[in-house]
Amino acid sequence: MPEEPYNPSPIGNPSVLARRNWWQTMLVKLIGKYTPKCREMVRILSQSMDEPMPLMMRMKKRLHFLICCWCQRYEEQLRYLHETAGQFPEHADEASDAIFPSETKQRIKQRLADQIR
Amino acid sequence: MNKYNVQSAAARWIDDHGECLYRYALVRVRRPEVAEDLVQEALLAAVRGYEKFGGRSSERSWLVGILKNKIVDHFRKLGRETSFTDMEFLSDEFSEKFVSVGFWNHDLGPHEWKPEPDEVMHRSEFWQVMRECFAKLPQKVRDVFTMREMDSVPSKEICTILSITDSNLWVMLHRARMALRECLEMNWFDTPAGGTV
Repeated sequence: MPEEPYNPSPIGNPSVLARRNWWQTMLVKLIGKYTPKCREMVRILSQSMDEPMPLMMRMKKRLHFLICCWCQRYEEQLRYLHETAGQFPEHADEASDAIFPSETKQRIKQRLADQIR
Repeated sequence: MNKYNVQSAAARWIDDHGECLYRYALVRVRRPEVAEDLVQEALLAAVRGYEKFGGRSSERSWLVGILKNKIVDHFRKLGRETSFTDMEFLSDEFSEKFVSVGFWNHDLGPHEWKPEPDEVMHRSEFWQVMRECFAKLPQKVRDVFTMREMDSVPSKEICTILSITDSNLWVMLHRARMALRECLEMNWFDTPAGGTV
Protein backbone atom coordinates (compact mmCIF):
# COMPACT_ATOMS: atom_id res chain seq x y z
CA MET A 1 0.00 0.00 0.00
CA PRO A 2 2.82 2.51 0.65
CA GLU A 3 3.52 2.43 -3.11
CA GLU A 4 0.22 4.16 -3.77
CA PRO A 5 1.00 7.63 -5.17
CA TYR A 6 0.16 10.73 -3.15
CA ASN A 7 -3.30 11.89 -4.10
CA PRO A 8 -3.13 15.65 -4.52
CA SER A 9 -6.75 16.07 -5.59
CA PRO A 10 -8.61 18.86 -3.77
CA ILE A 11 -11.81 16.80 -3.92
CA GLY A 12 -12.75 15.75 -0.42
CA ASN A 13 -9.84 17.67 1.07
CA PRO A 14 -11.17 20.25 3.52
CA SER A 15 -7.76 21.80 4.24
CA VAL A 16 -7.47 25.59 3.93
CA LEU A 17 -5.14 25.22 0.95
CA ALA A 18 -5.86 22.29 -1.33
CA ARG A 19 -4.71 22.87 -4.92
CA ARG A 20 -8.00 24.37 -5.96
CA ASN A 21 -6.21 26.73 -8.36
CA TRP A 22 -2.70 27.51 -9.60
CA TRP A 23 -1.78 29.71 -6.61
CA GLN A 24 -2.92 27.19 -4.10
CA THR A 25 -1.02 24.44 -5.88
CA MET A 26 2.19 26.50 -5.72
CA LEU A 27 1.66 27.24 -2.03
CA VAL A 28 0.83 23.65 -1.18
CA LYS A 29 4.00 22.44 -2.93
CA LEU A 30 6.12 25.07 -1.19
CA ILE A 31 4.72 24.35 2.28
CA GLY A 32 4.89 20.62 1.65
CA LYS A 33 8.55 20.96 0.77
CA TYR A 34 9.61 23.04 3.77
CA THR A 35 7.56 21.53 6.58
CA PRO A 36 7.81 17.99 8.00
CA LYS A 37 5.84 15.26 6.26
CA CYS A 38 2.76 14.04 8.13
CA ARG A 39 4.39 10.80 9.26
CA GLU A 40 7.05 12.91 10.99
CA MET A 41 4.59 15.61 12.08
CA VAL A 42 2.46 13.19 14.12
CA ARG A 43 5.61 12.11 15.98
CA ILE A 44 6.51 15.74 16.69
CA LEU A 45 2.94 16.49 17.79
CA SER A 46 3.05 13.62 20.25
CA GLN A 47 6.33 14.81 21.72
CA SER A 48 4.95 18.33 22.06
CA MET A 49 2.39 16.95 24.51
CA ASP A 50 5.27 16.38 26.92
CA GLU A 51 7.74 19.13 26.18
CA PRO A 52 7.39 22.55 24.55
CA MET A 53 7.85 22.77 20.80
CA PRO A 54 10.64 25.10 19.62
CA LEU A 55 9.38 28.36 18.08
CA MET A 56 10.59 27.49 14.57
CA MET A 57 8.75 24.18 14.69
CA ARG A 58 5.61 25.87 15.96
CA MET A 59 5.67 28.10 12.90
CA LYS A 60 6.23 25.15 10.59
CA LYS A 61 3.37 23.37 12.26
CA ARG A 62 1.02 26.31 11.63
CA LEU A 63 2.02 26.37 7.97
CA HIS A 64 1.67 22.63 7.68
CA PHE A 65 -1.85 22.77 9.12
CA LEU A 66 -2.84 25.11 6.26
CA ILE A 67 -2.27 22.29 3.80
CA CYS A 68 -3.21 19.41 6.10
CA CYS A 69 -6.42 19.32 8.08
CA TRP A 70 -5.61 15.74 9.10
CA CYS A 71 -2.56 16.70 11.13
CA GLN A 72 -4.56 19.53 12.66
CA ARG A 73 -7.28 17.09 13.65
CA TYR A 74 -4.63 14.75 14.96
CA GLU A 75 -3.32 17.43 17.28
CA GLU A 76 -6.79 18.36 18.52
CA GLN A 77 -7.51 14.70 19.16
CA LEU A 78 -4.27 14.19 21.08
CA ARG A 79 -5.29 17.06 23.34
CA TYR A 80 -8.69 15.52 23.74
CA LEU A 81 -7.10 12.19 24.58
CA HIS A 82 -4.91 13.94 27.15
CA GLU A 83 -7.91 15.64 28.77
CA THR A 84 -10.06 12.56 28.93
CA ALA A 85 -7.28 10.18 29.99
CA GLY A 86 -6.60 12.58 32.85
CA GLN A 87 -10.24 12.31 33.89
CA PHE A 88 -10.34 8.54 33.60
CA PRO A 89 -9.19 7.62 37.13
CA GLU A 90 -12.08 9.47 38.76
CA HIS A 91 -14.51 7.74 36.43
CA ALA A 92 -12.97 4.28 36.77
CA ASP A 93 -16.08 2.99 38.56
CA GLU A 94 -18.07 3.62 35.36
CA ALA A 95 -15.48 1.95 33.14
CA SER A 96 -15.84 -1.63 34.33
CA ASP A 97 -17.97 -4.03 36.32
CA ALA A 98 -15.12 -5.50 38.36
CA ILE A 99 -16.42 -6.34 41.82
CA PHE A 100 -14.59 -5.04 44.85
CA PRO A 101 -15.21 -8.00 47.19
CA SER A 102 -17.33 -6.99 50.17
CA GLU A 103 -15.18 -8.96 52.62
CA THR A 104 -12.18 -6.92 51.47
CA LYS A 105 -14.16 -3.76 51.98
CA GLN A 106 -15.00 -4.83 55.51
CA ARG A 107 -11.39 -5.74 56.20
CA ILE A 108 -10.17 -2.34 55.02
CA LYS A 109 -12.84 -0.53 57.02
CA GLN A 110 -11.64 -2.41 60.08
CA ARG A 111 -8.00 -1.52 59.36
CA LEU A 112 -8.95 2.14 59.01
CA ALA A 113 -10.87 2.09 62.27
CA ASP A 114 -7.90 0.43 64.03
CA GLN A 115 -5.57 3.05 62.65
CA ILE A 116 -7.70 5.91 63.94
CA ARG A 117 -8.20 4.43 67.39
CA MET B 1 -6.80 15.60 64.79
CA ASN B 2 -10.51 15.40 65.32
CA LYS B 3 -10.85 11.66 65.74
CA TYR B 4 -14.58 11.55 65.18
CA ASN B 5 -14.41 13.50 61.94
CA VAL B 6 -11.81 11.14 60.51
CA GLN B 7 -13.70 8.13 61.73
CA SER B 8 -16.93 9.06 60.02
CA ALA B 9 -15.15 10.19 56.86
CA ALA B 10 -13.07 7.02 56.59
CA ALA B 11 -16.12 4.81 57.03
CA ARG B 12 -17.75 6.60 54.12
CA TRP B 13 -14.76 6.48 51.77
CA ILE B 14 -15.05 2.79 51.06
CA ASP B 15 -18.77 3.02 50.35
CA ASP B 16 -18.60 6.18 48.24
CA HIS B 17 -15.31 5.75 46.40
CA GLY B 18 -14.24 2.15 46.99
CA GLU B 19 -15.36 0.84 43.59
CA CYS B 20 -13.73 3.73 41.76
CA LEU B 21 -10.41 3.31 43.59
CA TYR B 22 -10.42 -0.46 43.20
CA ARG B 23 -11.33 -0.44 39.52
CA TYR B 24 -8.71 2.17 38.74
CA ALA B 25 -6.04 0.22 40.59
CA LEU B 26 -7.14 -2.91 38.76
CA VAL B 27 -6.83 -1.22 35.36
CA ARG B 28 -3.29 -0.26 36.30
CA VAL B 29 -1.94 -3.39 38.00
CA ARG B 30 -4.34 -6.02 36.65
CA ARG B 31 -4.02 -8.33 39.68
CA PRO B 32 -6.98 -8.12 42.08
CA GLU B 33 -4.96 -8.87 45.22
CA VAL B 34 -2.42 -6.16 44.36
CA ALA B 35 -5.23 -3.69 43.59
CA GLU B 36 -6.87 -4.43 46.95
CA ASP B 37 -3.59 -3.83 48.78
CA LEU B 38 -3.02 -0.56 46.97
CA VAL B 39 -6.49 0.70 47.85
CA GLN B 40 -5.89 -0.19 51.49
CA GLU B 41 -2.50 1.53 51.53
CA ALA B 42 -3.98 4.61 49.91
CA LEU B 43 -6.81 4.85 52.42
CA LEU B 44 -4.47 4.34 55.39
CA ALA B 45 -2.34 7.17 54.02
CA ALA B 46 -5.49 9.26 53.62
CA VAL B 47 -6.35 8.74 57.29
CA ARG B 48 -2.85 9.88 58.27
CA GLY B 49 -3.01 12.90 56.00
CA TYR B 50 -6.63 13.83 56.63
CA GLU B 51 -5.69 17.09 58.31
CA LYS B 52 -4.00 18.27 55.14
CA PHE B 53 -7.12 17.72 53.09
CA GLY B 54 -8.71 21.12 53.28
CA GLY B 55 -11.56 20.40 50.90
CA ARG B 56 -9.76 22.27 48.11
CA SER B 57 -10.55 19.44 45.73
CA SER B 58 -13.35 16.92 45.83
CA GLU B 59 -12.91 14.04 48.23
CA ARG B 60 -12.73 11.64 45.32
CA SER B 61 -9.93 13.42 43.47
CA TRP B 62 -8.01 13.72 46.71
CA LEU B 63 -8.27 9.98 47.35
CA VAL B 64 -7.56 9.11 43.72
CA GLY B 65 -4.48 11.35 43.91
CA ILE B 66 -3.16 9.39 46.89
CA LEU B 67 -3.88 6.11 45.12
CA LYS B 68 -1.96 7.31 42.04
CA ASN B 69 1.12 7.90 44.21
CA LYS B 70 0.79 4.42 45.66
CA ILE B 71 0.52 2.94 42.17
CA VAL B 72 3.64 4.79 41.02
CA ASP B 73 5.45 3.52 44.15
CA HIS B 74 4.32 0.03 43.24
CA PHE B 75 5.89 0.34 39.78
CA ARG B 76 9.00 1.84 41.33
CA LYS B 77 9.37 -1.25 43.52
CA LEU B 78 8.82 -3.57 40.57
CA GLY B 79 11.59 -1.64 38.85
CA ARG B 80 13.79 -3.70 36.64
CA GLU B 81 11.83 -6.89 37.08
CA THR B 82 9.64 -6.08 34.11
CA SER B 83 11.08 -6.93 30.76
CA PHE B 84 10.50 -5.20 27.52
CA THR B 85 8.87 -7.46 24.98
CA ASP B 86 6.73 -5.25 22.82
CA MET B 87 9.09 -4.49 19.97
CA GLU B 88 6.66 -5.81 17.41
CA PHE B 89 4.05 -3.29 18.42
CA LEU B 90 6.66 -0.55 18.43
CA SER B 91 7.93 -1.34 14.98
CA ASP B 92 4.46 -0.94 13.52
CA GLU B 93 4.50 2.50 11.92
CA PHE B 94 0.82 2.41 11.03
CA SER B 95 2.32 2.46 7.57
CA GLU B 96 -0.96 1.94 5.75
CA LYS B 97 -2.09 5.33 7.08
CA PHE B 98 0.53 7.18 5.08
CA VAL B 99 1.38 7.20 1.40
CA SER B 100 4.99 6.50 0.52
CA VAL B 101 6.09 10.13 0.47
CA GLY B 102 4.90 10.49 4.06
CA PHE B 103 1.62 12.38 3.78
CA TRP B 104 -1.63 11.04 5.17
CA ASN B 105 -3.55 8.76 2.90
CA HIS B 106 -6.58 11.06 2.69
CA ASP B 107 -9.07 8.24 3.00
CA LEU B 108 -7.46 6.88 6.14
CA GLY B 109 -6.50 10.10 7.93
CA PRO B 110 -8.14 11.15 11.20
CA HIS B 111 -11.87 11.71 10.88
CA GLU B 112 -13.50 14.78 12.23
CA TRP B 113 -14.64 14.14 15.80
CA LYS B 114 -17.46 15.98 17.36
CA PRO B 115 -16.45 15.53 20.95
CA GLU B 116 -18.62 17.12 23.51
CA PRO B 117 -16.29 16.78 26.47
CA ASP B 118 -18.78 17.86 29.11
CA GLU B 119 -21.35 15.43 27.87
CA VAL B 120 -18.87 12.60 27.45
CA MET B 121 -17.74 12.93 31.06
CA HIS B 122 -21.17 11.82 32.15
CA ARG B 123 -21.46 8.84 29.85
CA SER B 124 -20.36 5.53 31.24
CA GLU B 125 -20.13 3.96 27.78
CA PHE B 126 -17.32 6.31 26.87
CA TRP B 127 -15.23 5.26 29.85
CA GLN B 128 -15.87 1.60 29.05
CA VAL B 129 -14.68 2.09 25.48
CA MET B 130 -11.63 3.91 26.76
CA ARG B 131 -10.79 1.12 29.17
CA GLU B 132 -11.14 -1.46 26.40
CA CYS B 133 -8.84 0.61 24.21
CA PHE B 134 -6.22 0.75 26.99
CA ALA B 135 -6.51 -2.99 27.41
CA LYS B 136 -5.51 -3.54 23.79
CA LEU B 137 -2.15 -1.85 24.28
CA PRO B 138 0.86 -4.04 25.08
CA GLN B 139 1.52 -4.00 28.81
CA LYS B 140 4.63 -1.87 28.94
CA VAL B 141 3.28 0.67 26.47
CA ARG B 142 0.14 0.92 28.55
CA ASP B 143 2.17 1.39 31.72
CA VAL B 144 4.12 4.21 30.12
CA PHE B 145 1.04 5.94 28.74
CA THR B 146 -1.09 5.64 31.88
CA MET B 147 1.76 6.79 34.09
CA ARG B 148 2.26 9.83 31.88
CA GLU B 149 -1.33 10.81 31.12
CA MET B 150 -3.25 9.55 34.12
CA ASP B 151 -0.78 9.81 36.95
CA SER B 152 0.96 12.88 35.44
CA VAL B 153 4.41 11.55 36.26
CA PRO B 154 7.13 13.67 34.56
CA SER B 155 8.67 11.88 31.58
CA LYS B 156 12.19 11.81 33.06
CA GLU B 157 10.89 10.05 36.14
CA ILE B 158 9.03 7.46 34.06
CA CYS B 159 12.31 6.61 32.33
CA THR B 160 13.91 6.00 35.71
CA ILE B 161 11.03 4.01 37.16
CA LEU B 162 10.65 1.73 34.15
CA SER B 163 14.34 1.69 33.18
CA ILE B 164 13.85 2.87 29.64
CA THR B 165 15.67 5.44 27.54
CA ASP B 166 14.28 8.83 26.55
CA SER B 167 13.88 7.85 22.94
CA ASN B 168 12.16 4.62 23.89
CA LEU B 169 9.72 6.63 25.98
CA TRP B 170 8.88 9.00 23.12
CA VAL B 171 8.34 6.10 20.75
CA MET B 172 6.10 4.28 23.20
CA LEU B 173 4.02 7.36 24.00
CA HIS B 174 3.66 8.13 20.31
CA ARG B 175 2.54 4.60 19.45
CA ALA B 176 0.18 4.51 22.41
CA ARG B 177 -1.44 7.78 21.39
CA MET B 178 -1.73 6.70 17.78
CA ALA B 179 -3.32 3.39 18.73
CA LEU B 180 -5.68 4.93 21.31
CA ARG B 181 -6.75 7.66 18.93
CA GLU B 182 -7.52 5.06 16.31
CA CYS B 183 -9.35 2.85 18.78
CA LEU B 184 -11.51 5.66 20.16
CA GLU B 185 -12.36 6.79 16.66
CA MET B 186 -13.42 3.32 15.57
CA ASN B 187 -15.24 2.32 18.72
CA TRP B 188 -16.74 5.58 19.85
CA PHE B 189 -16.67 8.57 17.52
CA ASP B 190 -17.62 6.63 14.39
CA THR B 191 -20.44 4.81 16.17
CA PRO B 192 -23.98 5.99 16.88
CA ALA B 193 -23.12 6.11 20.60
CA GLY B 194 -20.38 8.62 19.91
CA GLY B 195 -22.83 10.84 18.15
CA THR B 196 -21.20 11.57 14.78
CA VAL B 197 -23.10 9.00 12.77
